[in-house]
Amino acid sequence: MSANANIICGGLTFEGVPVELREKVAFRDAQLPAALVEMRESLGLREAVLVSTCNRVEYFGATEQPERAEAAWPDFLRRYHGVKEDFAPLSFQLRGTPCVEHLYSVASGLKSMVVGETEILGQLKDAYDAAKTHGQTGKWLNRLFQSSFAAAKSVRSRTGITRGSVSVGSVSIELAEKIFGDLKGCRVMVIGAGDTSERTARSLLGRGVPSILVANRTFERAATLAGELGGEAVRWEEWEERALEVDIMISSTSAPHYVLTREKLEALLKRRERRALFLIDLAVPRDFEPSINLLDDVFLYDIDDLQSIAHAHLRERQTEITRSMEILQPHVERYMEWAGRQTGKTGPDGVRTGWVAV
Amino acid sequence: MSGMQIACLAPCGTLLFKYVKIILKSFHSMHDRLWLFLATLGYLASAGWGLYALGSKRPASNFWTFLLIGTAFALHTVFLEQRGAAIQHCPITNLFETLAFFSWSLVLTYLVVGPAYRMSILGAFTAPVVFLINFFALAAAAQIDLPGTMPHLGWQLELHATLALLGLGVLGVAALAGMTYLIQERQLKRHALTSWFYSLPNVGCLELVQQQVLVWGFIIFTAGAFLGFFIPHQNSEDWVKIVWSAVVWSLYAILVVVLGLGRLSHKKTALLSVAGYVFILLTFWGINSLSEAHVFPHEG
Repeated sequence: MSANANIICGGLTFEGVPVELREKVAFRDAQLPAALVEMRESLGLREAVLVSTCNRVEYFGATEQPERAEAAWPDFLRRYHGVKEDFAPLSFQLRGTPCVEHLYSVASGLKSMVVGETEILGQLKDAYDAAKTHGQTGKWLNRLFQSSFAAAKSVRSRTGITRGSVSVGSVSIELAEKIFGDLKGCRVMVIGAGDTSERTARSLLGRGVPSILVANRTFERAATLAGELGGEAVRWEEWEERALEVDIMISSTSAPHYVLTREKLEALLKRRERRALFLIDLAVPRDFEPSINLLDDVFLYDIDDLQSIAHAHLRERQTEITRSMEILQPHVERYMEWAGRQTGKTGPDGVRTGWVAV
Repeated sequence: MSGMQIACLAPCGTLLFKYVKIILKSFHSMHDRLWLFLATLGYLASAGWGLYALGSKRPASNFWTFLLIGTAFALHTVFLEQRGAAIQHCPITNLFETLAFFSWSLVLTYLVVGPAYRMSILGAFTAPVVFLINFFALAAAAQIDLPGTMPHLGWQLELHATLALLGLGVLGVAALAGMTYLIQERQLKRHALTSWFYSLPNVGCLELVQQQVLVWGFIIFTAGAFLGFFIPHQNSEDWVKIVWSAVVWSLYAILVVVLGLGRLSHKKTALLSVAGYVFILLTFWGINSLSEAHVFPHEG
């Protein structure tokens, strides 16, 4: 490997390219090994990693000919996927320090559609592992990716970038866990077979809820959903009686009036053993009378409450970006210094910044 | 090792030994109240750090709160041990010592309950309360703390006072868990999730701790109060203290019974637990100052 390598990267992201185009050039896991070899040859890269997720298709490389790589990337995409679009104006291209900063930011979730999401780190690790396994990486990219994972870990542990859920379903789960702790002992009832309540119920199942009761005006629909969720269907006339057993109720009926009034719930609570009740009202118009929230041990959230919490979390994450960048900076500098030592070059300000031409 | 190296190290060792002796000697001559003063500073630091950690986004911060309180507790224990050795009794022979022992039992309960229930976060609320109790004890110490030789008090009397104070300490942690529950419950009810929301434990766990610790505190306090009936009295009955103790006992007895019957919501249980303890804190000083039979006579 030449000492005068450039670290470069480029690609398409959700920020500038619509999903209709991104999906045309996405790489499936099975395609990656062959695509990596072809890309490396086409772009003239010494080392290469190819990252393909639903939000980005990017390459990272070490090369002595960055211009060649930048010019060849759009052609490679067009040729490999057999499409006609010109990706040159849609692709970003970075070299040296900005490229390193970009990778560290991506790994930390700072450049994700949902800022702070952690899935991207796993996807980067997978992409790097695939490249390493097939012998496509060397000292430059090995060090770059490994240090990006350490930098991302540092950002996650020292900032609130991943704190707080940012979707209605995940906010509901977070609240349920703050009310009950472990959800493994919680019983759940879904009233009405709406999509959002189904998704929320599935998320709760994923968190260890043992079983779910489904009540719907049309019993067949309740039975279908209960079958899909591995739960039990409840006839509409029986849901109030069965509600005595549950800890969490998710409602999304299309009823024009309240399905559960304060008066009705007060009567139910008298017959129910003393424990908390979490009510999630996803319906518009609402299914649960709002004054229910005034009752002790009852926690009521409607769709607006959940959405505003999700938005607040997202805003809070965005305010953490600057702090995260400050945490990343020393990691970037350390990598650049290391790279500088590998080549022995010194930057214009006397700092050994290496081979990087930006 | 060469002879020259040994020759160089020997004076260093002698010097080190000399300094260790000086430090040990200064510790021995240190007035015991200084240990309590240092412990109180430790609780103040724990309170400051604990409240900062609650608002910060650093999950590891609870460890430091726990460590700070643990260190302050060690200093607090040294004070009680030295005072006990000096007066040859459990150090609860005047209001100053009683307050110091009272706050010590509160911290002891926290140090047991915190790790057992993974509730180290309670330290952020325990430390300010303990700091305030110790602060008042130290502020008034000069007037009321006159340690001296005591007559033989009898094991029943010492056990009665110790258990009663330990019980009050345990009830204090129950009240702090109740207060934490109320903070968390309020955030959940108002849909206003601050950074405290993420740092504080879930309400289910807080309910459990608050209620279990409350029952334990009540049992220990009852045992202490019950032992009081078996102590021979030289003077007339101390009705002020007896009535106060009966009020406190009845309040908690009603709370525990209603809790057992499942008649009270978690919120009301927490509210009553906090209210009961605020009553104890506000009246403890006054009642003990008025109490006659609960002041131990000095010899000579």
